[in-house]
Amino acid sequence: MKDKTTRFLSVSAVAISIICAVVFSFLAFYMNKQSRATITDVGTIYMTGMNDRISIHFRTTIEQRLSQVEALVKECPPQEDRGERESLIYSAKARGYNHLAVCSETGEFEMIYGDPIYVKDMEPYLKSLRAGEKKIAVGKDAGENDLVLIGIPAEYRMADGSTSISLVAALSVDYIKDILALDENNTLVYSHIIRKDGSFVIRSGEAFRDNYFQRIRGLFAEERNSEAEQYVQELANAMERNENYSSILELGSDRRHIYCAKLPYSEWYLVTIMPYGALNETVGQLNRQWGYMVLGSCSIVMCVLLFVFIRYLKLTRAQLTALDEARKEAIAANKAKSEFLSNMSHDIRTPMNAIVGMTAIASANINNMQQVQNCLKKITLSSRHLLGLINDVLDMSKIESGKMTLNVDQVSLREVMDSIVNIVQPQVKTKNQQFEVIIRDISAENVCCDSVRLNQVLLNLLSNAIKFTPDGGAVKVVLYQEESPRGASFVRNQITVEDNGIGMTEEFRDRIFESFAREDSLRVHKTEGTGLGLAITRYIVDAMEGTIRVESQQGMGTKFYVTLDMEKAEVEEEEMILPEWNMLVVDDDRLLCESAVTSLRSIGVKAEWALDGEDAIKMVERRRQEHRDYQIILMDWKLPGIDGIETSRRIRRKLGDDIPIILISAYDWNEIEEEAREAGISGFICKPLFKSTLFYGLRQHMETLEKGEEENRKEGSGLDGRRVLVAEDNELNWEIASELLSELGLELEWAEDGQICLNMFERSEPGYYDAVLMDLRMPVMNGYEAAVAIRKTERKDRDIPIIAMTADAFTEDRKKCLEAGMNAHMAKPIDVKEVSRLLEKYIKS
Amino acid sequence: MSLKECYISLEGDYEDALSRLRSERLVQKFVLKFLNDGSYDLLCRSLEAKDYSEAFRASHTIKGVCQNLSFTKLYKSSHQLTEALRNGWSEEAGGLVEQVKADYEQTAGAIRDLQKELEG
Repeated sequence: MKDKTTRFLSVSAVAISIICAVVFSFLAFYMNKQSRATITDVGTIYMTGMNDRISIHFRTTIEQRLSQVEALVKECPPQEDRGERESLIYSAKARGYNHLAVCSETGEFEMIYGDPIYVKDMEPYLKSLRAGEKKIAVGKDAGENDLVLIGIPAEYRMADGSTSISLVAALSVDYIKDILALDENNTLVYSHIIRKDGSFVIRSGEAFRDNYFQRIRGLFAEERNSEAEQYVQELANAMERNENYSSILELGSDRRHIYCAKLPYSEWYLVTIMPYGALNETVGQLNRQWGYMVLGSCSIVMCVLLFVFIRYLKLTRAQLTALDEARKEAIAANKAKSEFLSNMSHDIRTPMNAIVGMTAIASANINNMQQVQNCLKKITLSSRHLLGLINDVLDMSKIESGKMTLNVDQVSLREVMDSIVNIVQPQVKTKNQQFEVIIRDISAENVCCDSVRLNQVLLNLLSNAIKFTPDGGAVKVVLYQEESPRGASFVRNQITVEDNGIGMTEEFRDRIFESFAREDSLRVHKTEGTGLGLAITRYIVDAMEGTIRVESQQGMGTKFYVTLDMEKAEVEEEEMILPEWNMLVVDDDRLLCESAVTSLRSIGVKAEWALDGEDAIKMVERRRQEHRDYQIILMDWKLPGIDGIETSRRIRRKLGDDIPIILISAYDWNEIEEEAREAGISGFICKPLFKSTLFYGLRQHMETLEKGEEENRKEGSGLDGRRVLVAEDNELNWEIASELLSELGLELEWAEDGQICLNMFERSEPGYYDAVLMDLRMPVMNGYEAAVAIRKTERKDRDIPIIAMTADAFTEDRKKCLEAGMNAHMAKPIDVKEVSRLLEKYIKS
Repeated sequence: MSLKECYISLEGDYEDALSRLRSERLVQKFVLKFLNDGSYDLLCRSLEAKDYSEAFRASHTIKGVCQNLSFTKLYKSSHQLTEALRNGWSEEAGGLVEQVKADYEQTAGAIRDLQKELEG
């Protein structure tokens, strides 16, 4: 294919070049020829014009002379006694004639004056004279000087008594030559006057022979005699027929244009010659220029063509290569799919066989309860596995067809992590692995994300880690947040999942995120799975615009890094504030301790930390001596040296049962719960330790902690007997409030909406009510309006404490409450401690 | 059916309710009273009448009651409905109304079962 294209292209390139060359050469040749022809035409026209001009000049000159002589005849009419001769001589001399004669019938001249003359070619001249025509001819005098004889019919008496037929005046030939400027050297052109037989009448230029025909013959080289003869013949024939003759003599390198025309009043012919020498040079130069231009344009065109061809060739080659690669890829993908399909069929068949087999066994032993239960358990397991496989395949096909979309919603990272920890706990337990979940630097617990897909990513990574880590290995998940480069409304979540399992080879690591890939080794074959998990994970992370990468070494373990930028959720997080407790956090992971302490500080708790049990015990003892015990201790279960439960036991022995010790763990604590309770553990908090995890986990213990204080306070509390007006439209809520708050010793009165509340307040004696608890959403008049109205009354107790109670916990609501003149804001559900705290604070004065 | 089972069946947080209301007696008393609370009827009526500000208030009240009684599931759906109705009718409100209705039926059903058992 490739060679074919190349060959086609080169052949066409050569062909086009040849065509190009031929066309241009033809053009050059044709133009050359054309220009020659044009030059010849131009020459002919020029020559004709020239010849005509000379002819006309000749005619005028001769006519002038003829009429001069005619006038002479008229002036001196013949007289019997030849008395006219004197005046003839006089007049002729005056007009510049050198000789004057009369001619007899027989052609003999009788000189009137001047030397005797004779005519070279007497016959035709005499014939014309006899016929009474005016005629000129060439004659010679005694000194063989050429003369022009002008003959006019005239009948003068001659010496012998006969009558003449004409008067003949003679002029020097040079006169005509001068007049006609035949010898001019400043033009290219020169002329001769010849007779019919080729003999020169007037010769100019370089001609030295007596006959023009001889001259033509002489001009040609020996071997071209026949050509010369042909020209001579043509010229002679033309003269015979009294036609104009025009021709070009090709004399080797030289070309001459000759033009021949008959002159009037004579038997003479004017031959004009123009050598093309100079012209040829100009034309030749033009032609050369033409040639260069043609050659130049030809090569430019060829170059461009060649360039285009080469580019095209390269392009085509690149395309073909790409095509080839794509084909190979497609084949490889297809192969991977086929392999995958066969693997899959195998993978699906295994659990399916188990299901079918177990169903058969169960039917056969339908009465054996235990057996049936056992079978059902196995069927359930196999079905789940099968479902997992099918889900993966469906996910993958969704992804491959581009149909996977993200369902972005508000997600609590705490819930996500909690649920994942819960899910993997059983597996971790089965394989007896060390499992650690660490979170730190969490700035936004609530983010916008697709929780299902996020779960899927984490679970895939985590279950892989567990799957490929042998019994007793360690698996660790770390989540921390950073500032996101995408802006302040985003937060970057860094998740790492680390194990010390079997790891993977380098080649496999490079294609781990490809579909249908699974390392082909015996160890892995024992492990179930489609090999789609990581491909799906990668796609999801891509869809979330995050990144995922892996570090791994065979036999050493694997570490996945996932980076996801998520938008912070806009929910106003509930204000999380705990009393200012002193706490101790015990965990062997320093980062976790630091992070937990930071989180605790942010919810108002002062905390310290210890890295192992012994340290913790020492710190507790020191505090005891200083009489400022820790109020709560958070204890990790698995610690180096003595574990969390044993540590708790020892602390209990020293401190008694007063302070809560809470076990923090990523493991499933169901089985150790009993042991832990016995050791004096008061409660459990599941890792990871988000701020909210800590808050909600610790809040439960607030009561036990504060019971003592509260009792003390109740006795001395300033709330006993205080009268509080409760505006609440819902009866049930009112009853609950009433029930709870009367325990504080408060006397409560109920207003069913804002208007009633206002009325009751207005009708009461000033100072009758100590405070108002105001629901915000009420019919008739809402809480805000009621508060504003109360503040506007003229009563002196119009600054009575008003505390808003509402099911909303938005900052805006809080602000709105304060704007409406209320003193504080309290979120439902009604919390006795919170109510009493607020009431105490505001009623105090 | 015990009170705790009732809470499981209506998907509430019994522990939480108990921790705030202090005694099982009180929790039970208020839970039973939930059936007499008119807010749900008000919600249905005002939705029918397309009075969405009233529906918002009713939904808000339901949410408040659920918070007090720790009816987690109904609290969640009524909370969402409240937000959907806060600025009048919104597209997602339709689905949420159905959700609230279903959750209310679940809650009320569980309480009725409890009531029957106590009476029976």
